[in-house]
Amino acid sequence: MANAASGMAVHDECKLKFLELKAKRTYRYVVFKIEEKQKEVIVEKLGDPTETHEDFAACLPANECRYAVFDYDFVTEENCQKSRIFFIAWSPDTARVRSKMIYASSKDRFKRELDGIQVELQATDPTEMDLEVFKSRAN
Amino acid sequence: MAKLIETYACIPSTERGRGILISGNPKTNSFLYCNGRSVIIRYLDRPLDVEVYAEHAYQTTVARFSPNGEWIASADVSGTVRIWGTHNGFVLKNEFRVLSGRIDDLQWSDDGMRIVASGDGKGKSFIRAFMWDSGSNVGEFDGHSRRVLSCAFKPTRPFRIVSCGEDFLVNFYEGPPFKFKQSHRDHSNFVNCVRFSPDGTKFITVSSDKRGLLYDGKTAEKKGELSSEDCHKGSIYAVSWSPDSKQVLTVSADKTAKIWTISENFNGTVAKTLCPGSDGVEDMLVGCLWQNDYVVTVSLGGTIYVYSASDLDKEPMIMCGHMKNVNSLAVLKSSPEIILSSSYDGLIFRWTRGFGYSGKLERKDKNQIKCLAVVDEEIMSSGFDNKIWRIPLSGDQCAEANIVDIGNQPKDLSFALNDRDLALIAIETGVVLLRGTQVLSTVDLGFTVSACVIAPDGTEAIVGGQDGKLHIYSVNGDSLKNEAVLEKHRGEITVIRYSPDVSMFASADANREAVVWDRVTREVKLKNMLYHTARINSLAWSPDNTMVATGSLDTCVIVYEVSKPASSRTTIKGANLGGVYAVAFVDDNTVVSSGEDACIRFWQITPR
Repeated sequence: MANAASGMAVHDECKLKFLELKAKRTYRYVVFKIEEKQKEVIVEKLGDPTETHEDFAACLPANECRYAVFDYDFVTEENCQKSRIFFIAWSPDTARVRSKMIYASSKDRFKRELDGIQVELQATDPTEMDLEVFKSRAN
Repeated sequence: MAKLIETYACIPSTERGRGILISGNPKTNSFLYCNGRSVIIRYLDRPLDVEVYAEHAYQTTVARFSPNGEWIASADVSGTVRIWGTHNGFVLKNEFRVLSGRIDDLQWSDDGMRIVASGDGKGKSFIRAFMWDSGSNVGEFDGHSRRVLSCAFKPTRPFRIVSCGEDFLVNFYEGPPFKFKQSHRDHSNFVNCVRFSPDGTKFITVSSDKRGLLYDGKTAEKKGELSSEDCHKGSIYAVSWSPDSKQVLTVSADKTAKIWTISENFNGTVAKTLCPGSDGVEDMLVGCLWQNDYVVTVSLGGTIYVYSASDLDKEPMIMCGHMKNVNSLAVLKSSPEIILSSSYDGLIFRWTRGFGYSGKLERKDKNQIKCLAVVDEEIMSSGFDNKIWRIPLSGDQCAEANIVDIGNQPKDLSFALNDRDLALIAIETGVVLLRGTQVLSTVDLGFTVSACVIAPDGTEAIVGGQDGKLHIYSVNGDSLKNEAVLEKHRGEITVIRYSPDVSMFASADANREAVVWDRVTREVKLKNMLYHTARINSLAWSPDNTMVATGSLDTCVIVYEVSKPASSRTTIKGANLGGVYAVAFVDDNTVVSSGEDACIRFWQITPR
């Protein structure tokens, strides 16, 4: 894959797993990590469709940045079952500044690779990633 | 979920040298007054029923019900008048910028169509009368050169408006459209209040020259005055007519309220003198209202005395509360539950749950209180000087205070609950151990201290620093030994509290985060309590050790359950407008909170 503004490549597996989540719904969430040595974004963890938001929140380390894609299911006021794909830029306040910089500058390029994201969310602490925030953004 | 069960309202904000205007609705026995940026609606027959309207952006000055009781017009110091509905969540009908300075008085016309507002116009218009729904002017009001302190609308047709002010003038306007008719300069000092009698035949003006003058309602001729026999000996701040137009109530800086009978020849004679309160400056009376059978007087200290008009010799009902922000609360373990609250102006009040105000703790010196701690029969408080006050409570009142000078300004205080003599006080760079009134030792810890707590058995102390670190010390006699340093907080520690069974402790910081720790292992038990959006001011444990409540500057109180993750929390939004300063658990399901708006509220928590 071509070089990004920060020089970070995107591993093919990322795009494949995302497409699987979108089309075949084989995962509830996918967590991505930037591997500094290989200078690319790789898939760190995949979540089963049976897992919940709490399991997802537990996968995100408290002191390091990550990218994640979460498939959020909800029921609207008219009783329709809907789902939204959230892109979460997890950048906790306690992470190292260098890490935050790298994730922030590569985010745009990475998002463009994932076609089909409906809502984007930036979370700097667990409260900003709460289920209520998902509910309000899914509208 | 949380439900509001009781509110102990604040009292009207008063200013020395000026009267305040309170008004009411005779049909529902309610009365209105202003404090800070809110308008408080209370009921004369139900002192615990309180509603607060807090939509003004500036300090409110006066509020009035419309004649049909459906709307309330309230005014503030920026010259804005807001008209809102009494029911249905105070929905706003209109908002007008009426004057360019503060509004001192406001009145509706008897048909509810026009409103007259007067005040300080900064050189331009001092009074404006306008239609209530469109805001269009209904007259021109010239004739005053200084602040217009009061205005009144004649309740019967033909409509007239009277205004009076700091230029000693009483002006009379005919209309609508209102035009200047005549002016009287019979007073020799500020004319504080003017009111028409309900039948519209007379109006009375009262002034700081201790006199009250009566005029004919239609022609504005001066007809008589309040008799100089047994008259007030201080400025008269406010006046109110009885519903039958035969008597008036006046209140004055000489700390009395007088009821005058107005005869047909427009002269008034004293019928009764009321002297609520004792003889301090606080008891100067600044506001009054006569509504149905109730005679209400408000003192400078904010205490509201309600007399019964038919039986004036009966003891008045007293409604009191805080005027300034309430910065700490304590629950006395007794039944019925008694809460002590203190505000920074040095007043400590006692409240009985279910009943309301039950007394002010008299203290010899009224210095300001910054921190307060209470345990059983003793109160420890500190202000802005270097002294700690230990006041034993004997029954309902404070006994002689013991003052200890500790040499440094105290930042936080804590009692060892099981060993009441021992207390820990945080000062700028260290702590002071106090036993009784003796300073055991002053320990310099080398870092800037912001909060401290001592365990109930006095063996352990936790000191929080400005850098967010929690230092745990073991207490041996008069020295502290450093046991551990916990680093998790990312802001100045604001409060630390042990749980009632001492197995855990919780700490909160200025960066909106609270953490629950296990005391023995010093490990984090519950984290991610980050749901506040501003600095956490106060923290409390429930008596059964299952819940922690945090109160913050963002006006919310959040109750977390220690056994569940932080995300399943109960939030009380807007618990105290302006910020919550103190929170406490009364029992396992009730939280009491107090804050900037000088109100104390009880909330029932039902865990999800």
